[in-house]
Amino acid sequence: MMSRKKIFTLVGVFALTMGWLSPVHAVDEIRIGHIGPTTGWATIFGQQVLNGIKLALAERDYKFRGIPIKLFTEDTKADVEVMRTKLDSLKNRDKVHLIIGPSLGHEGMAAVDWAARNPDVPILVGYSAPEDMTMRKATYSLIRPGWTGSQVIFHFGKFCAKDLGYKKVIIVGQDYSYPWDQAAGFIRGFLENGGEKVLRIWHPVEAVDFSSIMAKLMGLSKEYDAVLNNSGGAQVVAFFKQWYQFGLDKVYPQILGQANVPIVPMLAELGDLALGVYSSLHYYDGNPSPANQKFRESYKKAFGEYPSVIAVQGYDAMHVAFKAMEAIDGKVDDPKKFINAIRNVRMSAEESPRGPFYFDKYGNPVQNIYIKKVVKKNGNLMNIVVKTYKNVSQFGPYADMAEKYMAQPATTRNYPPGEKEAYFREIEKYFGKEYVENLKKNNGWVD
Amino acid sequence: MSLLIGMSFLNGLTLAALLFITASGLTLSFSLMRVVNLTHGAFYLAGGYIGLTVLKATGNWALAVLLGGLFTAVLALVEERFLLSWARGNDLIETLISLSVAIIIGDLILVVWGGNPKTIAIPKSLGGAVVIPVIGIIYPLYRIFMLGLAIFIILGLWVFLKKTNLGITIRAGVDNFHMVSALGINVTRLFTIVFGLSGGLAGIAGVVGGTFMMLGPGEDWRILLLTLIVIIIGGMGSLSGTIVGALITGLIYSFATAFIPQFSLFFLFLPVAIILSIRPQGLFGKEA
Amino acid sequence: MNDKLSLNIWKIFFGIISISLLLTLPWWSSGYVVMMVIRIMYFGMLTMSLAFLAGELGWVSLMQAAFFGIAGYFVAILQTRYSLPFPIPPLIGIAMATVAAALFGLLVIRTRGIYFLMLTLVLGQLVWALASQWASVTRGDTGIHEVYAPMLFGISTAESKTAFYFFNLIFFVGSIIFLAALKRSPFGLMLRGIRDSESRMRMLGYSVGLLRYCAFIFAAFVAALGGVFFVYFTGLINPHSVSLTTNVDTLLAGILGGINSLGGAILGTGILKMLDVWLSGVTKRYLLFMGIMFMLVIMFAPQGIVGTAKKRLETKRKKTA
Repeated sequence: MMSRKKIFTLVGVFALTMGWLSPVHAVDEIRIGHIGPTTGWATIFGQQVLNGIKLALAERDYKFRGIPIKLFTEDTKADVEVMRTKLDSLKNRDKVHLIIGPSLGHEGMAAVDWAARNPDVPILVGYSAPEDMTMRKATYSLIRPGWTGSQVIFHFGKFCAKDLGYKKVIIVGQDYSYPWDQAAGFIRGFLENGGEKVLRIWHPVEAVDFSSIMAKLMGLSKEYDAVLNNSGGAQVVAFFKQWYQFGLDKVYPQILGQANVPIVPMLAELGDLALGVYSSLHYYDGNPSPANQKFRESYKKAFGEYPSVIAVQGYDAMHVAFKAMEAIDGKVDDPKKFINAIRNVRMSAEESPRGPFYFDKYGNPVQNIYIKKVVKKNGNLMNIVVKTYKNVSQFGPYADMAEKYMAQPATTRNYPPGEKEAYFREIEKYFGKEYVENLKKNNGWVD
Repeated sequence: MSLLIGMSFLNGLTLAALLFITASGLTLSFSLMRVVNLTHGAFYLAGGYIGLTVLKATGNWALAVLLGGLFTAVLALVEERFLLSWARGNDLIETLISLSVAIIIGDLILVVWGGNPKTIAIPKSLGGAVVIPVIGIIYPLYRIFMLGLAIFIILGLWVFLKKTNLGITIRAGVDNFHMVSALGINVTRLFTIVFGLSGGLAGIAGVVGGTFMMLGPGEDWRILLLTLIVIIIGGMGSLSGTIVGALITGLIYSFATAFIPQFSLFFLFLPVAIILSIRPQGLFGKEA
Repeated sequence: MNDKLSLNIWKIFFGIISISLLLTLPWWSSGYVVMMVIRIMYFGMLTMSLAFLAGELGWVSLMQAAFFGIAGYFVAILQTRYSLPFPIPPLIGIAMATVAAALFGLLVIRTRGIYFLMLTLVLGQLVWALASQWASVTRGDTGIHEVYAPMLFGISTAESKTAFYFFNLIFFVGSIIFLAALKRSPFGLMLRGIRDSESRMRMLGYSVGLLRYCAFIFAAFVAALGGVFFVYFTGLINPHSVSLTTNVDTLLAGILGGINSLGGAILGTGILKMLDVWLSGVTKRYLLFMGIMFMLVIMFAPQGIVGTAKKRLETKRKKTA
């Protein structure tokens, strides 16, 4: 019979040893929630992000170093009130370690509000692009491995002024904040690099009869050089069709497009009408890089169609999450560590279909922006790159004046002004006389 | 400027043509059966998608229009026969049933065709623009075709209602429903036929409209709204009222979008509000 | 006689239980449940406004969400753009919604039945069009954010869900009492008289138009109240809140629960909101399911759950009598 003392010692040593030897993982299941519109009119914006996430998870068999990963999906139905409810359930009911989403602009603004009140759940934004989410309203737990409306189009404005030689452009777009952002970014790039005037024509988000607008464009064709279609989804299809019906292709060069115009699902529907369309984005589907080709083929295999940039967002977000998990050894139950790790992730061109990127201090990527054009290759329509701008942040050419940029009023349907004189007067207030003078001296931005 | 005015006028006229084709069915079913068929928008969209599939399969646009209309006519027949007849006599319940069917069809469309917006290709013979004599404006041929089609349908309906037995019976039923049933005419069958006809017109409108605009989720409710506006302005149950209502709606929408685009939708509703306050039964409607 | 007594005792018992449950909710349930109940409360007010008009007057309105949203928008605009202090924004919001009801009411008093339904559909869309297009005021489809719930007696209802819950509960119960009182009063009796036979009421000398007009305004008032809590709890508002979808959802909730009772409206809202969350996690065919359910209820149980249950109880009691 062992003495009591000895038994206790043995038990103690045994317990210590077991504690020391047992797996370091405090987590036995990693829970990730996706939130976005997966039903209704905005289905593709939620569904494709989800598919991207699933593809990335499937690559690792839904496991991280042996720990199973559980994916919860919640449908916002494009309704912000529902989204708020679902965010709460993901956090409180499902106890997720990470939320990926949402997809729509207004969803995004509401999500950043929620994130500010719930700082212990990291959110990796899906497709939402309002710049204030990672600018004026930025909050530490919300990181966006995506883009902002203006970020991808500043240089397109410059391209149209400098490379295409346009002086006056008309922008026809849906009347809500995302196209406002795109128009604003374009105007900055355009007017600061030689352009003279941008006219903005807004129409209701769901308009499908553009005959009046076509009539207007016809009347303006003598004065203006080109038209930019600043819409997404069904409106793009209707616009392009009626453009050709009314014979506007005879009085204007090819249509210019915002980010959502020549994405893969649109190309399928527009067909040859989309040939020659210029646009800009942080991703182009014709990218021959191995990362992109592999992504496209495995997506096609899994889901039966080629992916668009929307799916890239989900895919990249999940990869960012994996990299962060690697950095913290899977300890996703420590939100602070997890969020820090996410913010420190750097993706290389070999890892992401879009190219290399890393996060700026506000949580938005610094990445390549591609000026692209729609061409036909082997009978298939695709976007090829015409020019690449590297390391572009959400502040674009204003990267070293971030505070001044943010001090400006928020974008609206009329701000910033679309006429060169008025625009220069406005930016002088915030960027200073020297900036304006340099612009005039260098004839635009210095590359 | 005058170019804009001229084109806005043509745009309004041709939009009115499409609105008329769509609304004629709704007016027809209402005048006889006193039911506002809220499924009408869904029929438009379903017809459009069926037409799209037919076109993709056969390459024949005219066939797509016909089959689109035929399919929705059958759909309407079935809805009337099996669902609406259940609540015969209670207009409100029938209307609510039609609302539920609209929701169901809307989701089924998503299942079959998905959520991506789609468009029907314009047939080559109707594509391109022509110069309109006298005013000298270049205008899409397809929209002129729509105007022609609407006129054709107006004439067709006029002949049908005034000259054929069935048409006369329907008009009699509209005027004095009880008398007609007292005369021993099979009213149930009459209803089903009229409903089918109205559904068919909606389906045809769907293919025709889907060709110059697009098809997508939500389109069914947009079209339903426009159709209701046309009918409220023109008067429920009057074909001439539908023509006038369509013209007013189409022209206002066109001019508003051209000159004050940021309030175009609001101006669409203004005539509705005015009509409601001075003559609630619509311009050509009978007292409720 | 005994039956009636025992029924009343059951009613009182049930009432006491539910009241005590409601009063202590935040302490025995999770934050998630509290959130759901808050949502059921503000949407419930919207549904009750529809049920009131439908049950008492036979007026099925597809525009109640317009008043819900008008109040919400005024609160949002006055608070975020003009920084007016509580309680001015909600008071103005509710007042403006009531004024809107007074204006729209003039357009609809002479109609009934399906024509009324159609008109309210179109007018509801008019409000939606304004919300969507008048971007300089409403910020269009983007909506207005950061509408923070007020500080009451030193407690922030924006931070504390429990505080918000009670804030909402007081007005929720208040609106039930308001509508129930109206229903029981001679006013309610007159409304039901109009519903059953308008011509008779006219012959009896009642001012049918005026009665209808008042009912319309009262209903809008309750909807507006719901809208205030909606915008405070969610912190934002956009045109979706006044859209056709929201109006149809409200109709569905009312019909499901039973438009002839306020309890039915609340029950319908509760079921729908919970189904909303549960169902969309299970299937994407949420709309299909709702459409079919709506159709079945309209065809086979148009009185809704509460209405049908009441009928069953009636027939049972009649049988045993």
